[in-house]
Amino acid sequence: MQDTVISIENISKQYRLGTIGTGSLRQDLQVFWKKNILRQDPDFFKGLHAADYIWALDDVSFDVKQGEAVGIIGANGSGKSTLLKIISRIVQPTSGKVKGRGKISSILEVGTGFHYELSGRENIYMSGYTLGMQKQEIQKKFDEIVAFSGIEKFLDTPVKRYSSGMYVRLAFAVAAHLEPDILIVDEVLAVGDADFQKKCMGKMQASSAADGRTILFVSHNLQAVENLCNRAIWLNKGKIADIGNTGAVVRSYLASTKTDLTGSHWEDPDTAPGNEWVRMKRITARAGGNEPFITVKTPVIIEAELYSYVNDGDLNVNIELLSPSGESIFNIGCHSIKAEKAILALQVTIPADLLNNTSYGISLTVVKNYSQALHEFYNCLSFEVEDVREGMYYYGVWPGLIRPSIDALFYVKESF
Amino acid sequence: MKQPLEKNWDWEISSETSNWSWDLKSLLSYRHLLASLVRKEFLLNYQQTVLGPGWILVQPLLTLVTYVLVFGMLIRIPTGEGVPPVLFYLSGIVLWNFFNESFGTTSRTFREYIHIFTKVYFPRIIIPLATISTQFMRFLVQLILLVLILLYYIIFRGYVIHWHWALAGVPLAVAGVGLISLGMGLIFSVLTAKYRDIVNIVDVGIRLLFFVTPVVYPLALVREELRWIVKLNPLTPFFELFRLGVLGQGTVQTADLVYSFSFMLVTFLVSVYMFNKQGSKLIDVV
Repeated sequence: MQDTVISIENISKQYRLGTIGTGSLRQDLQVFWKKNILRQDPDFFKGLHAADYIWALDDVSFDVKQGEAVGIIGANGSGKSTLLKIISRIVQPTSGKVKGRGKISSILEVGTGFHYELSGRENIYMSGYTLGMQKQEIQKKFDEIVAFSGIEKFLDTPVKRYSSGMYVRLAFAVAAHLEPDILIVDEVLAVGDADFQKKCMGKMQASSAADGRTILFVSHNLQAVENLCNRAIWLNKGKIADIGNTGAVVRSYLASTKTDLTGSHWEDPDTAPGNEWVRMKRITARAGGNEPFITVKTPVIIEAELYSYVNDGDLNVNIELLSPSGESIFNIGCHSIKAEKAILALQVTIPADLLNNTSYGISLTVVKNYSQALHEFYNCLSFEVEDVREGMYYYGVWPGLIRPSIDALFYVKESF
Repeated sequence: MKQPLEKNWDWEISSETSNWSWDLKSLLSYRHLLASLVRKEFLLNYQQTVLGPGWILVQPLLTLVTYVLVFGMLIRIPTGEGVPPVLFYLSGIVLWNFFNESFGTTSRTFREYIHIFTKVYFPRIIIPLATISTQFMRFLVQLILLVLILLYYIIFRGYVIHWHWALAGVPLAVAGVGLISLGMGLIFSVLTAKYRDIVNIVDVGIRLLFFVTPVVYPLALVREELRWIVKLNPLTPFFELFRLGVLGQGTVQTADLVYSFSFMLVTFLVSVYMFNKQGSKLIDVV
């Protein structure tokens, strides 16, 4: 069995809210007076000020074994970064303990220790030392770092004259060549182009797998977490909501953030959107095949109900899918029915493996006698499609308005 | 039951900071960071300037001209017998600059480095140590200037210097000024980070301190009944000792030196303790 290298025991962190500066000298003096001179237990944490405190982390405990890559996921403000900062020794916990073995390095930001006025060369050393590297270590890897960043020509130019892309590449190159026993990475993949991201993830993956490095990784990019980490922790409001196998934790996290049904309904026809001929009763989108939420691998079922007040002629509906910027992606019709004063139901199933992971809008247009548009419910529904990627080293945004499953043949035709 | 064998953990983080947690070994492993911070200071200050590092010398010289004109010729503050005003003022300026810059920069540690402190851990004391090292090197360069000008006066102006046992006290005086500036700087770096108002007090405070330090006047010429005010300032004996050693003129009493060294020691211990204890807590506040 592998050894435990970090043991996190009942870590809690409390923050004071509001304007910290004002009156705190007086407050501090009061507390000091009561505590040390009058020997009273100040009711500082209770009473009046209780509302001004928030628990960013609340009794969090877990162990990390050597060589493990652990992903930490959760919504904004769930305590992910606070946890990393405590393990990195940047902030102190309010209570609890972290014990560990081996050298820790943390990359909580791209370009820590960089100074704009200094040259690339100076900054490699400056940043390396700040992140805890030793001189020989940097000297040994200097060429590798420069090659990785691809800024050979600008090595002696002040960093302030770099393009932001070059800056990020150099900064990350330094960080990527850290070789601690435990590496802590917070949301740094959000920067840099897709190509470079791939390179960095590859580097991290290699170091975890080959050198037995332990990695703690926070990211909003669930794809990256799934690919890099074998174990994940889902933090919710400072508490561990789930811990275990990455795939399972990511899915339960996603399921909690998505309602299984997006849409709206109107009970009172008089206030429902529409006009004297048609009004909307209900419109929803959900994943087909009993899946909890819509992904690129699930069909999307769109269901609508309409109040119709037309009693003559034929009615049909145009269904239009809109891109995030409102352009039409496709527009389909349906067969027509005889109009009558009734509630009409519509169901459209968009097949799996067609949509990309982005947010789409739906517009419905009710048409009478194939020619007269009674009403257009423009963008009356929007839904998000989540990403699922397996066995892929690309974590960037997948381009395209749609992502259909189309086979491409690629093979060796003949050797020469 | 789930109690594994007691392991040998390398490190432990808890809500309590141990009182003296900087073991020399971990400090030593960051010596390159210290060196490169010093290097950065020099590069940044003199990059893209015409005079470059020459500013280290030009700045005290300009101050010297001002003092000679204002305090020497305009207000006519006596500088004591036998010592040329230029040497008198320059010796004061060089030592005062060392104190002023070290104290001022150190007291801004948290405000200037908070963006790094919130992103990465290293022993925070590295930053003030780098500051004091930078200032000490500047001081040494300026000291060489002082010695050169002193030699000029001895060789070409026939200035006779009465070498004195106090020459051996010069390093002590410099160390004393340096440690007091570091200690006070550390204390105020914590205070200003916690209570912003104190920033203003620091600026005014340094200016006031200047006038109760024998920089532009010798202690001997302060009126007897007011001398205790100047003597209350723990820097005073160090300045007098420094001048006695370098120029052979100064009023130094053992009791005063004992007072200053005690002050220095207490300040230094308190400040390191305070900086260490409060340092990691301040990250939540600044």
